Amino acid sequence: MPGFLDDIETLVPALRRYARALTGNADRADDLVQDCLERAIAKQSLWRPIGPLRPWLFTIMINLHRNDRRRRRAAPEAEALDVLPFEPASPPSQGARLALAETAAALDRLPAEQREALLLVALEGMSYAEAAGVLGVPVGTLMSRIGRAREALRALVDGTGPKLRSVK
Amino acid sequence: MNDRNTISEADLNAYVDGELAPARRAAVEALLADSPRDRERIAAWREQGATLAALYGHVADEAMPARLSPHRLAAERRGGFGRLAVAAAAVALVLAGGAGGWIGRGLVAPDAAETTLIGEAEAAHVLYTPEVLHPVEVSGAEGAHLAKWLSRRLDRTLIIPDLAPEGFSLVGGRLLPAAGSAAALLMYESDDGARITLYVVPSAGEETAMRVSSADGLTAVSWHAETLGCVLVGALPRETLLRLAKASYGSLDQAPDI
Repeated sequence: MPGFLDDIETLVPALRRYARALTGNADRADDLVQDCLERAIAKQSLWRPIGPLRPWLFTIMINLHRNDRRRRRAAPEAEALDVLPFEPASPPSQGARLALAETAAALDRLPAEQREALLLVALEGMSYAEAAGVLGVPVGTLMSRIGRAREALRALVDGTGPKLRSVK
Repeated sequence: MNDRNTISEADLNAYVDGELAPARRAAVEALLADSPRDRERIAAWREQGATLAALYGHVADEAMPARLSPHRLAAERRGGFGRLAVAAAAVALVLAGGAGGWIGRGLVAPDAAETTLIGEAEAAHVLYTPEVLHPVEVSGAEGAHLAKWLSRRLDRTLIIPDLAPEGFSLVGGRLLPAAGSAAALLMYESDDGARITLYVVPSAGEETAMRVSSADGLTAVSWHAETLGCVLVGALPRETLLRLAKASYGSLDQAPDI
């Protein structure tokens, strides 16, 4: 068990990063990571996963996040998106700050399946094969989600494409 | 995607993500030279990637909050409902008729029938403890069902020993064929992953003392209660295994009649 726990611990930073980007909210992200770890530890006590831990943990977390979103839709509550999810060491120019905030807001407007896919590859650096495995979809489906996510983000941030409302 | 003269959306994305085979990559690069629009898109996508890294990359460098420590979460789980579940799941391998005490009668060497029993128990241990995916048929979480099922198949009333106070939690159990009957194999695991198995067969023999044997790094402690033959097997020091065997047996006396 300590070996397993040590292995999980090395993945916590990446899980937190991904959760933060997925939810756009620091507290909710850490709640999600905690749920994910608890679930993984509970499952592991009997059934150790075959194969690498990283995709297994990400799959657990994404499923939990989807459940969470369903629940929130059923009972909506006021939810703050962190406008800028950190305080940079040296404040960026107002323009750069705006670009970051715009991207964060645009990411939140993407359909969830596009956001999940894009972040696995563009933020976590997963291969298409690994990311497709995490999401349980064929590589072709993953690629089309990533392509649509990139174009939608570009349109939202640059205003080069359809306007905000039409994306969702 | 394999058209030699055009670049597909999939090509462009795979190019940005480093997923193209070298030949296709070279072909895409050649085509990009004549396509400023695609070059512009690629640049925009790469900037998106850089922006995402600027927004969220630092999260991975933050100090991990204590509540997200897997060791802490595992410890809380063990201290909380995990232990309760094991306790509620039922305890102690018991005979309906009760069992007399024999610990202290001394340890004696096994005879031929006993050697067969120990051999079967060791073979089952060696076969199943390394198993990652299916170490057991029924998990320890379904303890009540496990006890009921194995009792029916062995035609004995079994209560599953709780070795949690000794640091071993129940993984679960399975049913096995044995010489002339069925056998139950119960598996336990310590926090550091050491697994021990308790092999149980119906027996008509007399109660016997505990016998310890060691071979190939495995230690087996065997005994007969009134209507059960039991062998506890593990790659552990004999003192540890004896202590666990006594705990298994000791819980017999404490168990309520069922």
